Amino acid sequence: MHIAHYFLLIDTMARMSLRADSSKYFLGYIWWILEPLLYVAVFYVVFSVILDARREDFLVFLMCGKLAFIWFSKSVNQGANSIVASRGLIGKINVPKTLFPLAVVHEGLYKQAAVFLLLFIVLYVYGYQPSASWAWLLPVMAVNYLMIVACALVGACMVCLVRDFSMVISLGMMFLLFTSGIFWDVRALGDPAMTELVLNVNPLAFMLDAYRQILMYHTAPDGLHLLLVALGCGVLALCMVALMRRGSQFLALRALSS
Amino acid sequence: MSHSGRQVMLELQEVSLVYRSKRSGFEHGQHKVLDAVSLRVYEGETLGIIGRNGVGKTTMLQLMAGIFAPTRGRVRQRPGKSASLLTLGLGFRGELSGRDNALLAAMLQGSSKSQALSYLFEIKNFSELGDSFEEPVKTYSAGMRARLGFTTALMTHVDILLIDEVLSVGDAQFRAKAEAAMKERIRGEQTVVFVSHMAAQVRDLCDRVIWIADGRIRAEGEAGEVLGEYHRFVGGGDAKPGATDAIPTRRLGQKQ
Repeated sequence: MHIAHYFLLIDTMARMSLRADSSKYFLGYIWWILEPLLYVAVFYVVFSVILDARREDFLVFLMCGKLAFIWFSKSVNQGANSIVASRGLIGKINVPKTLFPLAVVHEGLYKQAAVFLLLFIVLYVYGYQPSASWAWLLPVMAVNYLMIVACALVGACMVCLVRDFSMVISLGMMFLLFTSGIFWDVRALGDPAMTELVLNVNPLAFMLDAYRQILMYHTAPDGLHLLLVALGCGVLALCMVALMRRGSQFLALRALSS
Repeated sequence: MSHSGRQVMLELQEVSLVYRSKRSGFEHGQHKVLDAVSLRVYEGETLGIIGRNGVGKTTMLQLMAGIFAPTRGRVRQRPGKSASLLTLGLGFRGELSGRDNALLAAMLQGSSKSQALSYLFEIKNFSELGDSFEEPVKTYSAGMRARLGFTTALMTHVDILLIDEVLSVGDAQFRAKAEAAMKERIRGEQTVVFVSHMAAQVRDLCDRVIWIADGRIRAEGEAGEVLGEYHRFVGGGDAKPGATDAIPTRRLGQKQ
């Protein structure tokens, strides 16, 4: 399959799915931003109103982390189940299996564009003005996307081989939700060594922190760290693409037979 | 042999396919679907494959289309030739409209987007779906899905057409139209492998027939001959007692 045709297919599949998805619900496209907002609302009620988070800027702080996290978790979750979900098509046509997770991830990107736009509006309303350091958002978002691609490909393969991984991935997302500094501040842990450890061990915590540093404090993230995360995710994604090309027919058999 | 002058389009050499599947608890069943099958498909011929449900006919087509790789043996296709599988229904995405499904199917078979878009008008007309073409496929009846599936595959052009039971669904009027369109393709230089359990259709369309039972080739040859033998076997009359191929696939190493 020609590379341009391959990317056109990914985009076409993503757009079709978006259109179908919006026609399924009464509120249609509004759900793109309503769903993440409701998540934020739930966390806000629990941590600010009930538990009293004692942060003036808690809403903005929460949105910066939570909205980027939902992008990651939803895309990876759906991407992981995408090959198995498309087994009807896979049994009919020999196509690159990477198409299915990548189309799902691409669909998530379209939705996330609307979500980020909303985030910028909220930031503006709360008095956070854009600055030159906001230019860092582009590489951070690009690395975030690469991270989603790599994880979705790994997840899609694993679920194809053993369905049980679908459960493990959902549980893993819950674990990341609590350990990535979404409703708590990695930089306010008290022990600087612990902050360092969390940021180094969990790339997602680093990414969420980078969004906050840029949007709320006009501070550039650690460029080298970002580059390392990008390299790691890039290599992983390339390996997965190569592996899934080689094992395309094996994946088809697993998707259809187990 | 009458085919000696023709080029081989596709060849299966000692092909076996075995897979493990999950059963209840921690048990796994091993299914041997095909067992050392060898056959050739020649350019321009229409090869029929017959056999009871579940003997591996569809799997054989999936191997020919490159969807699965054989566990043992080889599938060789003439370089530069494309093979495409025409089956019913399940390949559709229910939430997408008939139009989107047709477009996606054509693009996945390798058509460019502009080519695929140009097929849509023809597909809509031939399938007689009318306004339903814009509705989600999940609202379609089985017959409507069959019409969409058949038409989409018919319009996309491939070197080897692999047809799986596709002419056996839909109402009588559409079936006649589909058969006529199919015959037109067959009369041309289209190479076709045709799976069906409808003997009349096979006799009508195929030059040569292969009978599959229990994952192996039971008989191979001229359509009338093989069909006669098949009928004597399944028809009951003079079949040997107990010699039935009704067991879908042989299950190996399975715990009782």
